[in-house]
Amino acid sequence: MNTVHFFNTQHEIYWGLPIALYFYYTGMSAGSFILTSLGTVFGIEKYKKVAKVGVIMAIVLLAFAPLHLLFDLAQPGRFLNLFTTVNPTSAMSWGVYLLILYPVDLIIYSWYLFRQDMVNGLTKGGFKASFYNFLLFGKKDVSKQALDNDKRKQKLFGSFGVPLALLVHGYTGFILGNVQARAIWHTPLMPIIFLMSAMVSGTGLFIIVLMLVEKFKFGRLNDDIKALISDIANLMKWFILVDGILMIIYFIVLWYSNEAGYASGYFLLHNEFWSFVGLENGLGMLVPFILMLSKKARQSMPIVVLASILTIIGVLAMRINLVIGGQKLPLTGSKIMEYVASGRDITVILGLAVAAVIVLTFLYSVLPMNRPGVQEKETIPVSKGVAQ
Amino acid sequence: MGKRYAMVIDLRRCVGCHACQVACKSENNVPLGVFRTWVEELETGKFPNVSRHRLPRLCNHCENPSCLNVCPVKATYQLEDGTVLVDYDRCIGCKYCIAACPYDARFINPERNTAEKCTYCHERVDAGLQPACVNTCITGARVFGDLNDPTSEVAKLVATNAITVSKPETNNRPQTYYIKADEKALRPNLLEIVTGGEK
Repeated sequence: MNTVHFFNTQHEIYWGLPIALYFYYTGMSAGSFILTSLGTVFGIEKYKKVAKVGVIMAIVLLAFAPLHLLFDLAQPGRFLNLFTTVNPTSAMSWGVYLLILYPVDLIIYSWYLFRQDMVNGLTKGGFKASFYNFLLFGKKDVSKQALDNDKRKQKLFGSFGVPLALLVHGYTGFILGNVQARAIWHTPLMPIIFLMSAMVSGTGLFIIVLMLVEKFKFGRLNDDIKALISDIANLMKWFILVDGILMIIYFIVLWYSNEAGYASGYFLLHNEFWSFVGLENGLGMLVPFILMLSKKARQSMPIVVLASILTIIGVLAMRINLVIGGQKLPLTGSKIMEYVASGRDITVILGLAVAAVIVLTFLYSVLPMNRPGVQEKETIPVSKGVAQ
Repeated sequence: MGKRYAMVIDLRRCVGCHACQVACKSENNVPLGVFRTWVEELETGKFPNVSRHRLPRLCNHCENPSCLNVCPVKATYQLEDGTVLVDYDRCIGCKYCIAACPYDARFINPERNTAEKCTYCHERVDAGLQPACVNTCITGARVFGDLNDPTSEVAKLVATNAITVSKPETNNRPQTYYIKADEKALRPNLLEIVTGGEK
């Protein structure tokens, strides 16, 4: 039966790229933190050496994530209302508190992680020493007792951090999952899918950041780190597998749900073929999964980098397909809604991405990234190395 | 029992003049490009077997409004009489309510920069008047009143007619009742939209 609307009003897609990017950033923050907590919290020795890289990445990504939301508000000056009100029925209201608790916990955790090396760095003099001196707040005790206390506190705050990381990204799944008006979003799987894809993209970005940090701080990737990266790539393979299985379950149930659900599935499969099947699930999941199946490929750094980049792109496509794609199906009328990113949104996204990279670079270059047995190279000033 | 305001839209009477849409714009100073109420018009079938349908839409002032549930700052609130309102001084403009409303009833007012929607012309109703759309309707297709008062016209219409609401499955429990509305108008035919009408 043909239905033609010859009069209707135009509606807009209000949640655009900044919202998708917010989900993307918090996801990668949670993913990289959970991955690197394997050492300090779960006691897997080999991951201890990358805990510092992971936690800095988690903190910076999480600091920049909510800025996307702030810039997206129609009344950004009123964001304080979020802190003065609690609405238990709103997933967004839950998130406000998680978005404070999680980074605060991570900052305390990382302080204990860096303390010993910052005290050791005081002797070097210059900007770094005064910066460490400021960050240490006078706690310069490096007796065995104090160091044991550091370890205990790392474990304590790391242990808080893991559930907080799960919650801070899980709740974003509820933001979409709780909306019954839109079939694409309204599924109990949404928080779990968000978490698994966060693990995938968090791991992917972490591998790349780890390589860059190692390269610039220590001059080269030693075999130790290469072996660890292969291990992480192996984990990434499993994360992709679980994420892929969840996506398949999600899609099958969507296909067999009510008409809106079936239409949503059809929409993803046909109208959004290139971004859903091609980019999100093909290039972003299937290709890196196949690449990482081979042990040889996992030991080849260029292939691991390629797979990591593909997962990062794939999960970005997934966030966009879900957030924006979910709003493309109309609630009234008879036209698929079009989304056009505004110049302002694109400026905000690019500006925040550049700012996040600058802050990350700054922190990685000034903070002591020493790990047991490996010292930062001293001959070339680190800041210069990064600038190249 | 307190009041429960509701609207009945009798499509046997609606002629599609859009006067309600205009009256609302004028009464509430609604900026260009956005609408608190609007009338969808559609045609179904293939010549010679065709029919035309109209569907005036507005906020359903639901009993369990999604918009109210998702608002992180409680800017959306519900009065005792069922009217769902937005506190324009609290709203931060996060647009969650717009994403969550199944009826496209909400929008961002481009001048005030907050979420906005139909208020049942709350200030008019308070003063004992009818909402502007009801007041202006030339055929009396829009009827507004207290559903809990059995002698009110809305209560009588709801009790004595076959009525439908838009998307009852969402548990919003909408309070805009339609008489003789076409199912094809009440919800978008998503399957037809995504397949381009092939299936």
